[in-house]
Amino acid sequence: MKTDRLIGINEPQRVEVELDEKGLPVGMRDAGYKIRAVEDIGEIWRIDDEWWRVPIHRRYVEVIIESGRRVVLFEDVITGEWYVQKP
Amino acid sequence: MTRTPLLTSDSAACCWIPLFALRCETARRPELAALPVALVGSDDTRRVWQVSPLARHAGVKPGMTVSQAIGLCPALKLCEPDPVHYDAQFSRLLAALGQVSPVIEPAELGRAYVGTDGLEGLYGAPEKIVEAIQLRIVDCGLRIGNTGVESAIRNPQSAIRVGWGQGKFVTWVAATRARPGEAVIVQPGDEGTFLAAQPLAVLPLDPDTYRRLRQLGVRTLGALAALPEEAVVSQFGRAGRRLWRLAAGRIAEPVVGRVAPEPIVAALTFFSPVGERELLVHAIDKLIDRALGDPRRSGWRVQVVRVRAELEHAASWLAEATLKEPSADRERIAAPLKTQLERSPPAGAVERLVVEFTAFAAGTTELQLFARDAQAAARAGRRRALRTAAQEIKLRLKRSLLYHVIEVQPWSRLPERRYALIDYEP
Repeated sequence: MKTDRLIGINEPQRVEVELDEKGLPVGMRDAGYKIRAVEDIGEIWRIDDEWWRVPIHRRYVEVIIESGRRVVLFEDVITGEWYVQKP
Repeated sequence: MTRTPLLTSDSAACCWIPLFALRCETARRPELAALPVALVGSDDTRRVWQVSPLARHAGVKPGMTVSQAIGLCPALKLCEPDPVHYDAQFSRLLAALGQVSPVIEPAELGRAYVGTDGLEGLYGAPEKIVEAIQLRIVDCGLRIGNTGVESAIRNPQSAIRVGWGQGKFVTWVAATRARPGEAVIVQPGDEGTFLAAQPLAVLPLDPDTYRRLRQLGVRTLGALAALPEEAVVSQFGRAGRRLWRLAAGRIAEPVVGRVAPEPIVAALTFFSPVGERELLVHAIDKLIDRALGDPRRSGWRVQVVRVRAELEHAASWLAEATLKEPSADRERIAAPLKTQLERSPPAGAVERLVVEFTAFAAGTTELQLFARDAQAAARAGRRRALRTAAQEIKLRLKRSLLYHVIEVQPWSRLPERRYALIDYEP
């Protein structure tokens, strides 16, 4: 019998993020290790899920970086690490 | 896929392993053998399904509520049912029996009929045929407590009981009369004598008919067969005629085997165990779609479909449906499964879900068949082209890098849970 295993897509990617005093990103280092300045902050939202298993607490921040590209970052509230992910 | 011809046999052996599911549990968890054990029902988890002899000794009976059972036997060890495991073990038993005869008819978990017409040329007398069956069961590695040939035959600790005779009813009654590890053989012509001494309870009776027959003073099949057939029919109607004929040994239903086609299987392993009913329904739909897309299915309609679920904590769940009208339509195939999911849902979160099409009917109805086959041929042509392209890619890159994107939990708030890739094999 053939058994298929799922391969995840749109998995969160670790990024380094520089924060201002309010805890909002002002710069990020992308996958090519290039530092990108954040030009604008868009929406901010929060996801709290799976409290019954391994709780997930994320704070998503939509940013516009210097190239004008829209990027969605999130902070894992438990570990304090930042990730980039398509919403 | 080829047509599945019917195979029949008048002479038969009935292999019976009582408490099959419970034996499967004690085989994989030997520490249970010394304890009073009860299996909880798959359909109704509040009731006890199978009970070990130790638990029965303490007063626990099948069908009791769990709380009643524990009240009677505080040391009772309750086991969650694992129907997928029992089914796998039973399939192993059927495969072993299939090595002795091509005519196999499963009756229920732990009971199957083997057609033995013509086997005397291979094995000899019925005693030798029965021995061949017992040996095959032991050799197949079925984990029901039999570890060696010596332990399975003429051994009171063995689980296997065999009956041999003409027709399924006689062999079933013979198997129920056999001691553990032994066989009862009813020679042709002896059916009437053999059945006459058997208690009424061996007949397939509903409780009301059983009570009425007892009130009439009928205790054995012989006593029932001694009544005029028409008198029994006038009391019990059509069912009464069948009972009378069974009791008198006038009915010898043949074993009906069927060549089992290779099932079409589609499986899905979840990222994290899933308990939501909607998600399971969605996953079943998707898996049915994938199984319907299998090229072997082209031109065939699905007759039997089953869903297996592996649950957390090594439990499992199983649903099977035989479609009255074979279909290639997803909604029709899924409908009875969804009803079962609604009526008796899995007892825990699902880690892996498998949909299997296990029996098929040819897509043969006049004009519709023509249209369906034309579409099927076009699909098959496209698949052939895809298969060639995929093989070429695999040859060049040493591995296949083709995937499908499938919906997993499209409504999930976590973006990475919504879609996933799955191997693409056209």
